[in-house]
Amino acid sequence: MNRRSFVSAITPVISSGLVIAAAFLVGAILLSLLGKNPLQAYHVLISRGLGSSFGVSETLIKMAPLLIVSAGLLIALKASVWNIGVDGQFLVGACLAGVVAPKLAGAIPLVPMLFISALAGVLGGMLWGVIPALLKVRYGLNEIITTIMMNYVAVYLTSWLVKGPFKDPQVVPPQTAVVPEAFRLPPIPFTPVHIGLLVGLIAVLVVYLLFRNTTFGFKLWVLGQNPRTAIHAGMRVSRLTVLALLLSAGFAGLAGANDVLGVKGMFQGEWNPGYGLTGFALVFLARLDSLWVVPFAYFFSFLLLGGEIMARSANIPVYFVDVLEGLMLVFFAVGVYLERTLAERDRRRVPATQGG
Amino acid sequence: MTSRAGIDSSTTDKAGSQDSQNVLVEMRGITKRFPGVVANDGITLTIRRGEIHAVLGENGAGKTTLMNILSGMVCPDEGTIVIRGQEANIESPQDALRHRIGTVYQHFTLVPNLSIIENVVLGTPSRFVLALNQAEQRLREMLGGFELTVPLQTQVRHLSIGQQQRVEILKVVFRGSEVLLLDEPTSVLTPVEVKELFGILLGLKAQGVSLVLITHKLEEALEVSDRITILRQGKNVGELGPAALAGKDDVELKQRIVDLMFGGLPPQENGGRAKIAAAPAVLSLRDITALGDRGTLAVQEMSLELRASEIFGIAGVDGNGQKELAEVIAGQRLAVKGRVTLDGVEITNCGTSAAVKAGIVYVSDDRLGEASVPAGSVADNLVLKAIDRAPFSKRAMLNWSAIQANALRLIHEFEVKAPGPWTRLSTLSGGNIQKLLLARELALQPKVLVCNKPTHGLDLKTVRFVLQTLRAQADKGTVIVLISSELDEILALSDRIGVMYNGRLLATFERDEADLETIGHLMLGVRI
Repeated sequence: MNRRSFVSAITPVISSGLVIAAAFLVGAILLSLLGKNPLQAYHVLISRGLGSSFGVSETLIKMAPLLIVSAGLLIALKASVWNIGVDGQFLVGACLAGVVAPKLAGAIPLVPMLFISALAGVLGGMLWGVIPALLKVRYGLNEIITTIMMNYVAVYLTSWLVKGPFKDPQVVPPQTAVVPEAFRLPPIPFTPVHIGLLVGLIAVLVVYLLFRNTTFGFKLWVLGQNPRTAIHAGMRVSRLTVLALLLSAGFAGLAGANDVLGVKGMFQGEWNPGYGLTGFALVFLARLDSLWVVPFAYFFSFLLLGGEIMARSANIPVYFVDVLEGLMLVFFAVGVYLERTLAERDRRRVPATQGG
Repeated sequence: MTSRAGIDSSTTDKAGSQDSQNVLVEMRGITKRFPGVVANDGITLTIRRGEIHAVLGENGAGKTTLMNILSGMVCPDEGTIVIRGQEANIESPQDALRHRIGTVYQHFTLVPNLSIIENVVLGTPSRFVLALNQAEQRLREMLGGFELTVPLQTQVRHLSIGQQQRVEILKVVFRGSEVLLLDEPTSVLTPVEVKELFGILLGLKAQGVSLVLITHKLEEALEVSDRITILRQGKNVGELGPAALAGKDDVELKQRIVDLMFGGLPPQENGGRAKIAAAPAVLSLRDITALGDRGTLAVQEMSLELRASEIFGIAGVDGNGQKELAEVIAGQRLAVKGRVTLDGVEITNCGTSAAVKAGIVYVSDDRLGEASVPAGSVADNLVLKAIDRAPFSKRAMLNWSAIQANALRLIHEFEVKAPGPWTRLSTLSGGNIQKLLLARELALQPKVLVCNKPTHGLDLKTVRFVLQTLRAQADKGTVIVLISSELDEILALSDRIGVMYNGRLLATFERDEADLETIGHLMLGVRI
């Protein structure tokens, strides 16, 4: 193996590590500027997040929505459909699940109740995804813009809904009725982690198999590579685009249902965990590779939790984790740019040295 | 007509020794490969002091790549550039400027909100402070031939396209360029502006500036040039010096250049004609009208009847509606008017997948940008159009072993040089990619095969392979629509030939009635 092919084989693997390291480094500088001790902060992050059983189980619980959201993002991004509307789809799905679940709890057995509530979440997400999808294929509107705008609409719409029509009249704060503990997602046996984690792992596996083994996945891949080629090959590009966005949105909605049924037990107004950005960061760092998404989801879940731990024990703003994620996306872009220019330079240099 | 071997040896040799000191730039053996295509193939080009040198060739002949190499936008894979007797290494546009080579691009690089003078001074090397007054004085001295009737303080956005182009030229000359590269400078101009531009160019020439005019317009090249180099398929196929350009009468000279541009080879015999005339029409087009990507009329009321086993060659200079016509037949572009019928069944605007099902396949000329997924494997690309069919999938589940077997079989049958079915397509050569695309389409067992420029950019051996494959396929009964700007291959293969110009079918010929001259002229829109 010569130098170049070795470098190009190893680059994607190490570059994500470098990206993360660079983000932590800049994060450390920012912390110092805030007058905090970065080493102490990172020590807290790692010792509590990785070193305690509480840290690990909380990480696994938080991993579930990230996995589900990422499964959806994988579908959209592999098809080059830029679904930036995960947060909005998540909220509408969560809100719908939060409305349906308490009504069904006790009325029907646990399993169908959970299924129908989850379905409500999926439908809520899809409802929010179908609008930008149709706008794109009908009128050629860029889905990046429309999905972002739909996020804002979702935040305000859902918070209005739980202040008005869907509000639980029993309590003061704007929220839906609470799902009784007995009707939440049950734990995985012998663990404190609810089965949302399994749902997430299955979701990622399903997406992996979709792209590996189905004609639908194959067509989405071709569409993502070049829509002109998809048209040339006789694929129905509009339909594929709509389906990719709908599935992606459906998974986001399912993640919303997961948080309502597994963690919160209700939908609260003005609640927005913002998994979209995290999902984007981790799916890109995993280089759109379905299976690599799993370890990255664990890492990001660890970060999210770590943010809360650092906030509590080292008095660092909880938004610091958002800063880290943002930095990772920036460095990821820089990394991709560097890889391309280095490859280009190699390509230019090789013939030149041969020639003279 | 004299030999068409290419290089105008008489003129070049005679001038030889005495003008060697006049040589400003020499490009020697320049080769540049892009994925799938050899854009420049060992091109040698000499630019002399104070001459207007036209580089003529049709789209894709390699003109722009050659100029991008000289202006530092692209690095060559092989070859050397010698400037004023010294080997030069041009790696960036700055390097080119340092060697006093300036480029006037097709798309202007002016800042609309800055004045003429600011635009001209902008980017002058190693000046932190703009010395506008000084520059203005120098600029006024230079302005003589430029017919810029507006004040130098005018913002560029207020200027007409022609004036903007003049500012662009002024900018390059202001930096002391001795060689000016102009990429299709007339394409944006009105006829009057073209005249004015040529006036300016002649003025610059008189001042000793060398001008390289990249164009595909024969008349314009003849009008101002002292020397014409003709590129075809990335090769320098001929250079006509001042003697050749002055000496002969226009018609014969033009014919010779047309031959060089499109490649005139002696026509070959081919048989089986009588059989075709008797066969029933398979594909018929009635009054097909279609729009191009920019909404302009690309194909206008074309009608055709094609019979089984017939190869119908469509000759024409690139961009005269051939691609759009192919896409209409393949169901990839809407016909706004007219009907397409296959075996008597109307299939107008039925869409790509229905067209494929009906038996019409299309080998696109855009091999990497449309016809394939370069980042995908050979096997992936070979099933792109048949992924929904058995044995490649069953109830929406892929059958990878069938996909692999298909790839192995086609790689073998079409003698494709590929390490294996899972090799990334973009790592293959252009010829092998084209073989694969052809293999993919033929595996669909088409009734009609539309080929757009099937041999463009390929080496001779592959060209022969492709042409033989097409002939063999026609003998099996397939109708073949062969679109090409290579007249020799049209003549070598077609049973009938149509010439497209400006979206219309100007004429059709039976193979034995067709001659290079008539078709060559029709391709350039000249009716005889």
